[in-house]
Amino acid sequence: MLYREAGQFKSSYASDQAIFPIRQDKIGIALILVVALLVVPFVASNYVLNSILVPFLVFSTAAIGLNIVTGYCGQVSLGTGGFMACGAFFAFKLTTAFPDIHIILIFLLAGFGTALVGIVFGLPSLRIKGFYLAIATLAAQFFLIWMFTQNPWWTNYNPAGVITAPPRALFGDFYITGVRATPVGKYLFLVCFVTILALVAKNLVRSALGRAWMAIRDMDIAAEIMGIRPMMAKLSAFAVSSFFIGISGALWAFIYTASVEALAFEVTRSFQVLFMIIIGGLGSILGSFLGAAFIVLLPILLNSAPAMVGIRMSTELLTHLEFMIFGALIVFFLIVEPQGLARLWQIGKEKLRRWPFPY
Amino acid sequence: MSEILADPLPLDGDAPEAARVFDEVLLSVDNITLTFGGVTALSNIGFDIRKGEIRAIIGPNGAGKTSMLNVINGFYHPQQGKITFKGEERRRMRPHNAAKQGIARTFQNVALFKGMTTLDNVMTGRLLKMKTNMFWQAIYWGPNQREEIKHREFCEHIIDFLEIQAIRKTPVGRLPYGMQKRVELARALAMEPELLLLDEPMAGMNIEEKEDMSRFILDVNDQFGTTIALIEHDMSVVMDLSDRVVVLDYGRKLADGTPAAVSRDQKVIDAYLGVGH
Ligand SMILES: Nc1ncnc2c1ncn2[C@@H]1O[C@H](COP(=O)(O)OP(=O)(O)O)[C@@H](O)[C@H]1O
Ligand SMILES: [Mg+2]
Repeated sequence: MLYREAGQFKSSYASDQAIFPIRQDKIGIALILVVALLVVPFVASNYVLNSILVPFLVFSTAAIGLNIVTGYCGQVSLGTGGFMACGAFFAFKLTTAFPDIHIILIFLLAGFGTALVGIVFGLPSLRIKGFYLAIATLAAQFFLIWMFTQNPWWTNYNPAGVITAPPRALFGDFYITGVRATPVGKYLFLVCFVTILALVAKNLVRSALGRAWMAIRDMDIAAEIMGIRPMMAKLSAFAVSSFFIGISGALWAFIYTASVEALAFEVTRSFQVLFMIIIGGLGSILGSFLGAAFIVLLPILLNSAPAMVGIRMSTELLTHLEFMIFGALIVFFLIVEPQGLARLWQIGKEKLRRWPFPY
Repeated sequence: MSEILADPLPLDGDAPEAARVFDEVLLSVDNITLTFGGVTALSNIGFDIRKGEIRAIIGPNGAGKTSMLNVINGFYHPQQGKITFKGEERRRMRPHNAAKQGIARTFQNVALFKGMTTLDNVMTGRLLKMKTNMFWQAIYWGPNQREEIKHREFCEHIIDFLEIQAIRKTPVGRLPYGMQKRVELARALAMEPELLLLDEPMAGMNIEEKEDMSRFILDVNDQFGTTIALIEHDMSVVMDLSDRVVVLDYGRKLADGTPAAVSRDQKVIDAYLGVGH
């Protein structure tokens, strides 16, 4: 009875097509944002901000990006790490070459640059599918990381091959990168920026473009007879996906770690983001957040939970345990619930809608 | 004939018996030959489809009916022959070009977008008509929302027309087979096609579902003026629905004419009874 759309009649298509058609969802999202913006900054420790919330928001952006090409358009990609590296290095080159350009514009330009790279490496998807496409994107991953490690131009000839984010302010003295940026400042900026990005992604997937992507994913032959050009649909998915992933890479390098080398975006990063969308839910923006939260939180929980109940484990055992739990979960979600945590959430909502009556 | 036909034609007298006359050729295929390796799926097929008619394509399994539709909407490229659509000889094209020219279709095996709702499936039929660019789609509000609402209204008309309101928000993968066939028809209709190709729209349906589907096909033809090419095995349905019939057998054209004439044709009778092979 708590979660009901009963009595909420839609009198126009506009309200039926609203982003959150059910009032409880609207209130829920508003509440989350209010807490995130007005409560969390005052109660969260620097550790929670720096090591949990900031990486969660950065990973969420990457997961949204991968979800667009893989979850919505059905094109498997293992190039996420490489595209994140593109975003990081493009942003670094741009902001060191043009220090006066506003940092938000730098992030967006890095995203657009990565989108172009995504289009190029999305070309094989026009001919190959599934496993073979995954291998082709893996090649992109290795090529991109190789390029950024081999060519010192990308790091402005830094001897260690590391890029360090120069200080940049959002406005006035409000620094979000560099030494003068505070954890709270970084966090607040990310909450707003990532919310807007998620909104953009949600808008795209519920518009014509999103339907074209999903049509290609579900039945490419039928999509073509609806007039969808597979090339346009697939390449636009790669472009938009890489835009988000590129921005997440820039956020990673500039806001999360502040200084980074190309190897931070190795293929393990690609798999990590892929696991996020599998666990969170393929083809779901909400799932991208849930998956990111899950994968950021799990190692932390594993590290602290045994100690809390008085069991002492070696760090080695913990790492192995982490791998095993991930493996089991991936298998579980792939086989039992391909739509991931987002689907479990939805089932929960459907149950709640009927509650307390079982039928 | 049947109550199905008598219903939507409020003409005086024996309406169903009065043959409808169609003059304007919408699509004509000439000398089409299509082979796969050693298999000849179609050999020297020629017939036309006239504007406004319901044209049945019948024949035993493997006769080449589906292949013919695949040629018409650009999936297969015949080795020989020409296709003229709306008076213009067609160059080699892909299915999405055919869609742009106004050819829609349904498949023998349902080919819906399984992860999407009924409404979203039908809305894909409007994709070619939606013009707002990616920027406005990312903003959503403004021109994109106006366009979404406009096309939603159109799709709702089709949803009402095919009586699938109740399953609007259901992912189509969860629908029973008969309903899926209906959603597939809705999706094709959303394209406002000039030529609608239906590949066994009633296969696997029970009598009631067949009657519903027959009524929808007649209504579509009648109310939207859509030209329809229909592949169907059930001869009574073919007799009731179609204006003209072309009969294929082993990739060859066996007969072409009104349902009554075709059903009297000895070659057709033999083919259906399996004589002569
Ligand atoms: N893609 C294909 N590759 C090889 N053979 C095909 C292909 N499509 C159709 N055929 C062959 O063409 C013939 C006609 O098939 P089809 O058009 O599906 O018949 P119908 O729809 O009348 O039952 C069959 O012998 C079939 O095996
Ligand atoms: Mg067939």
